[in-house]
This record gives sequence, structure tokens and C-alpha cells, in this order.
Amino acid sequence: MSSTIFFSTLYASLVLCALGLVWRVSAWFRLRIGPDARDVASSQRVAAVFRGAASALFGSRALRLLGALFLDVLLLRKLFASEKLRWFGHLLVMVGFTLLLLMHALAPLVSAKLFPGYQPTLDPYLFLRDLSGAMVLVGVALLLFRRRADFPQPRRLIDWAFVTLLLIVVATGFVFEAYKIASPRAFYRMTEQFIGSTDRKELEPLRAVWASEFGVAFDDLKQPVDPALLQQGRKLQQDSCASCHSKPTSAFVSYPVARALAPVERMLDAGRANEWLLYLHVFACFLGLASLPFTRFFHVVAAPVSLLVNAAAQNRAFSTAGRASQRALALDACVRCGICDARCSVAPVARYLENAYLLPSHKLVATGALAGGRLLRPGRENDASPDDTHRDEARRVAEGAYLCTDCGRCTSRCPVGLDLADLWRAGRDDLAAVGLPPPEQWVQARSALAWAESLEAGSGQHPLADADAAFAPLSADRRSFSRCVQCQACTNVCPVVAHSIDAEHGIDLTPQKVMNLLRLGLRDLTLGSRMVWDCASCYQCQENCPEGVRVADIMLELRALSVHRLGALRGRREPA
Amino acid sequence: MKYALFLGCKIPAQLPAYELSTRAVLGHLGVTLVDLEFDCCGYPVRDVSRDGFALAAARNLALAERAGLDLLTPCSCCFGTLRHAIRFLGEDAALRARVTQALAAEGLAWSGKSEVEHLLSVLAQKLGIDAIAAAVRAPSAGLRVAAQYGCHALRPSDVTGIDNAMAPTLFETLISVTGATPVDWPRRLDCCGDPLHQANTALSERMTQAKIADALESGAEAICSACPHCHLRFDAVQADSADPSIRTLLYTQLLGLAMRLPAKSLGL
Repeated sequence: MSSTIFFSTLYASLVLCALGLVWRVSAWFRLRIGPDARDVASSQRVAAVFRGAASALFGSRALRLLGALFLDVLLLRKLFASEKLRWFGHLLVMVGFTLLLLMHALAPLVSAKLFPGYQPTLDPYLFLRDLSGAMVLVGVALLLFRRRADFPQPRRLIDWAFVTLLLIVVATGFVFEAYKIASPRAFYRMTEQFIGSTDRKELEPLRAVWASEFGVAFDDLKQPVDPALLQQGRKLQQDSCASCHSKPTSAFVSYPVARALAPVERMLDAGRANEWLLYLHVFACFLGLASLPFTRFFHVVAAPVSLLVNAAAQNRAFSTAGRASQRALALDACVRCGICDARCSVAPVARYLENAYLLPSHKLVATGALAGGRLLRPGRENDASPDDTHRDEARRVAEGAYLCTDCGRCTSRCPVGLDLADLWRAGRDDLAAVGLPPPEQWVQARSALAWAESLEAGSGQHPLADADAAFAPLSADRRSFSRCVQCQACTNVCPVVAHSIDAEHGIDLTPQKVMNLLRLGLRDLTLGSRMVWDCASCYQCQENCPEGVRVADIMLELRALSVHRLGALRGRREPA
Repeated sequence: MKYALFLGCKIPAQLPAYELSTRAVLGHLGVTLVDLEFDCCGYPVRDVSRDGFALAAARNLALAERAGLDLLTPCSCCFGTLRHAIRFLGEDAALRARVTQALAAEGLAWSGKSEVEHLLSVLAQKLGIDAIAAAVRAPSAGLRVAAQYGCHALRPSDVTGIDNAMAPTLFETLISVTGATPVDWPRRLDCCGDPLHQANTALSERMTQAKIADALESGAEAICSACPHCHLRFDAVQADSADPSIRTLLYTQLLGLAMRLPAKSLGL
């Protein structure tokens, strides 16, 4: 391989990688998630990080930081606690990859300096290289196998690039090594250099040994091999080759591949496989390097930083500026492993409602999209087009955000130790700020009468008219409220009515009036009412109704119904 | 006696002392608690989807059913939700068909075999007041306590059925057994205000403050809750308020202290 090509590509990749890193890391100080983050300038956030880092490195917390580096970053303690098999897989990839990077890719800088007499073709290096490659392959296989299939992770093509490149690098490495083991061309190159001969006759004893014991695929060797010739060859091998070559059988992956390649070895030799296989391997490595900041590979930077930052701040006691950066960092440190999704308290609901945005890993991506301005484009909320998928997407994100129960299981199980609970709170505030507040707020932003008029204007359009019985079977069935005699017992025992003493925070209808509107067939008038949304669900009304009307059950039904029916009207332009 | 412990979302995340003290007290009384991989009971989903609500609850019930266990929950809202779901599934065949289909996709089934019990009813009715009394070693000396059941433990009575919903005595009896004195407070059956806190904060806090004032006027020294929502709401409102405050105590802590369990095991 020409060193000009090698080094120019290497330096180009390094420059791309460095620029990409600067851009990605700067996002940790640029992205604003949560209302408190809007009050801090990027410069304050950078300053906070330097302050925090200084006090952590030179203070009493330095030891804890060291502990975190060892236990959390290198030994993946949190992943071990969450999922053993995946931890094992990840550890294999990590150790294998690191060994290959240091011992193999950076061999002139590391191995050659650390180990006098280092030769890549000598044991234990020969064996260790194959072992490292095999660890990566087995590890990746384990990780792919453990991937959850409930909801596909939010992965774009670029997210697959990392895994694909890694596999290409390891596979071309193995094939290149196997090719070299079996290659007669490589054999003659060596004999020319170290024995000074490429003469077949002269080298016959050595060829016999290298064919039978070192896997070189000569196609012009006399069979069966004469034992005396072999004996002679072994001596020659001892004198000329052994100081640099162990038996390739210890390359336990490449050697079998070399055996398999034997029949096509002459073709590979003729086709200059020694060059293009090497180019393939090296360019795949450089592509991986250049794309590091843009693929999931970036987690090798973001996840350790996140773990260390968490360890540095005791009990996650961040300043506002620190917290703002921590949230943006979390978006990059998430590896989309899906462990949070699997233990999410509302995962069954997510499946049933077919809304993946209830799940943490999807919610995280949506939180990033909202902060980065990709979830909503200005003006979209008032777009009149009913099939505006962009707006629907944002609605689904909001539905997911507000159905979160804050149970904290995602945070406690996250192998990267992300403070997801904090991210969800900030994300909800951001949603509310862009016109996607929780139902109780957007419904109550208009009066019950205004909603009813909109419903009337849009009658026949709402897609769920037939489904009302499924959403609200009691209020759709006269028998459940026709017994109401308007005695006001429900109103008299209602604590919400009793405490509604000012106009601003008071209710509009009373429970008994809601029942009356149902009796009059004016259900639409109740849907946007404050009474329905301010019902405390204490069931006093229902317990005290002398006629056995299930008042509270009906109230709660009307809520769910209003989310669907009024939600369908939301964002449409008001009729002129 | 063996139950699947249903903690819900609120207790592990925000009130670990309730989990600790429940395990300590019930363990001491010989109740075996089994942990299954339960999820959200369905309570918050009710505002958005009746189906989602029923499915979430039914899935938890099905998990308990598969393990052959009844559920015990220390959360009144989880209790009410799970009991409500059983009612809905029983009376709405179409809903039940949809939920059955969704559960079947995971190899689960709900048939109603598993019962849902509230912590209070297990203590007072399944174990019995006498057994509790026998376990009390250090009766608290007349601490005046206001009992807070949590609405969804009591009402609607045709769903919950743990006591007379208009004039319950179960919690007060359980308090007496510890040596404490239950106080009679006019607002004892009122809502704590928690479910309304997001929708109407001002109104919600008025409701909470009215209860606290009432408990204080009635001579209570502590409010003892059997629901994490109520307990946390009293704490949150008092934390932001300059008004006279009242101590909050979980029933399992009160009982645990009377049973001479180490304070640490009760999260105190």
C-alpha cells in the first residue's frame, strides 16, 4: 500500500473526525431542553463545565471519579446490574476492539514499543489478534440477539452504519490474514527477502513444510510429500523462518478460513488480493474513524463523559447551567439499548395504543427533535390540512409524554446512568411551551360552549362518532343517566364545587348540571367543561346518588371522549 | 398467607419508605410478598383511553393470575383502578374481547381468578385485628391520629367494598390497635386534592389545606395515610406553605413502631 495514500487518507479521516467531534460536543452547550435551560447562555454552560471539572479533578471527589472510570466506564457496572448477557456481549466488543486498536492498528506505536521482539506473526500476538477479532464478532452477535423487538428502536440508516462498519473491518481483517496465510506469493516474497531465492527446486523442502504445516496453498507440490524432504524442510524452517513465524493454527479463525480459501488462492494471488483486501480493510477503518462523530459510535465518547459527569456531581446536584448541558449530553449518550423500554411502566399501554412515544428511548429521540426544531415547524399547529402527518406526529409525542407516570424505572435501569426523569420533566415543559400542553390544559383553554360550537360546525366530520360507545359507553346509553332526578345530592357532596370560590379557578357546570345536559341530549356541551376536567374522581357523587347514577364514572368517560373528539378539532382553523 | 405485592409507580419512585415499612410489617406478621414484573395499574391512562386503562389493569391481573396469587396493594388509587377494571371487564363484553385479544398476543389471559386487596383490608380482615393486637409490643402512648383512607379505597362501595363507605371504621380500628387514638375529623372522607393538582392547582391546594386545617382543629397530631398520593400531597402542600403544619405518617410506620420494628426498616 502506498504510504502517500495511507497517510493522506488517515489525516483526512482524523480531520473529519475532529471537526465532527467539535460539532457534536458543541451541541451539549447549544441545545436547550427545558424552560430553565432557556435562561442560561452557552458561554455560562461552558464555564459551568470547566468549574465542575476543576473542582472534581482537584477536590475530594477525584477518587470517586477514578472509581467511576474504572467501575462504570471500563467495567460497565450499571449494565451488569441491568442485564448480564448484554453486559458480557458489550464487554467482549469493548475489550476485543480496544486490543485490536492498540495492539494491531497502533502496533508500531504500542506493541512494538512495549514488547521487544514483537512480530504480528508470532505467538502470542498471532493468537491474541484472532482472539480479539473473535471477541468483537461474538459480542456483536450477542448484542444483536438481545435486541428487543417490541417496538423497533428509533434507528436511522446512519445508526446501522456503525455496526456494519465494525463488522466489515473485522471480517476483512480475518479474510486478509487468511489470504496471507495461504498465499504462495507471500511465501516467495519472504523467501526472496530472507533466503534470497524464489527457486522452487531449491525451496522444495521448505515448501513442503509450509504447505503441510503452515497452510500455504501451493498447487504445484508433489503429493504425497516425502518424509525425508519434510524433515529437511523443518530444519530450514527453524533456521530461516521460526524467529518470525509461529504456526498459523493458533490464528484459530483465520486459519480455517485460509484452508477454505485454498482452492481459490491462485486466483486471489493473480488478482492482487494482497492489495485490494488491504485497502478494503484499511479504508473501512478510516471510514469508521471519520464517521465516528456521526454514527452510534459516538457513544464511546458521550456515554463515558455522561457517566463521569454524573459521578462528579454528587446526587446529580447540578447547577442550572450544568443541568442544561447534562440534558443535551444525555441525547448523545443514549445507546438505544432499549433496556428502559422493556421495563417502562406504560409499555403495555404503548403497545395497545400503538404509540411508541410512550417509551423512553423513543421519547428521548423526540425530545431531541423538539429541542433541535425538527419536531415542529413554525405555524404547523394551525395548519388546516387534516392529514398533516407532521402535526399528528407531534400530538403522539405529547400523548406519550403526558402518559409517563414518573415511576423512574427507566432512570434506575439505564446502563449509562442517564437522569431520564429530569429529561422527561423538561421535555413536557417544552411541549407545553410550543402549544402541546396536557389535555386538561388545552381543553380548558377554551370554554365548554366554544368547544360545543366547534363540534357543531364540524359535525359529521369527527371520525369517531361511531366509536363513542367504546370510549364512553355509559354516557352513550340513556339508561345510565335517565334515572337522575336532579336532586343535586351529587353537587352538594362534591368537594370541587365546595372549593370553587373564585371565578378564575372555579368550575362552570355542577355534576348535576352535567347529568342534566346528558338527559337533554346535549352531551357535546359537557365535553369541554371545567367540571369534567376538574373532577377529583373522589366518587362522593356516585356514592351519594340516591338513584344509583354512576356520576363519577361518567365524568371520567367524558374526559377520554373529549380528548378524542376535541383533539380531532384541535388546530383546525375556526370556521369564518 | 401469600400475596403478589403491587406497589404501582408512585411508591418506588417517590415514597420508598412505604415499600420498606409495608414489607417490614407484613413480613413480621407472616405474610409472604411476591414480586412480579407489574407495570402501571392504568390509573393515569383513564383520562385518555378507557381501553388502555382496562388493558393496563387487566395485564397486571393476568400476571398475578399466572402466578396463582391474589394482589395486595398499599396504594388506594392502584386499588381502585384494578377493582374498577374488573368491573368494566365484567360488564362490557366488547371491551373484554378487545382486552383478551391484546393479552393473548403476550400469552396472557384474564379470567378474574385473582382478587385485589388493599393493605388495610388484608390487615384488618384477612389477618384480623386480634393478630395485629398480638404483635403490638410497644403501644404508642395515645398519639392523636387522623386516618386518611384515600378515596379510591372506599368509593364507590360497590367496587371497593372494604368497609361502609359512608361511615368506615376499619382504619380507625387499626389505629386504635397500635395504642394511638384515632380522632374524629369532619373532613376525614374528603378528597386530599391530589388528582386535581395538575388540572387546577389552586383548587387542589385549597382542598388539601382545608383537610390539614380540619385535622389540626380536631386535635390530631399526625395524619396517617394509607395511600401514597394523599401522603405525598400533604407533604408537598405543607412544604410550600407557611400555615401551621401537621406531621404525616404512613400507617405501616405507625404499626411498625408499635411492633418495635427498627425505625430504619420502616424508612424513618
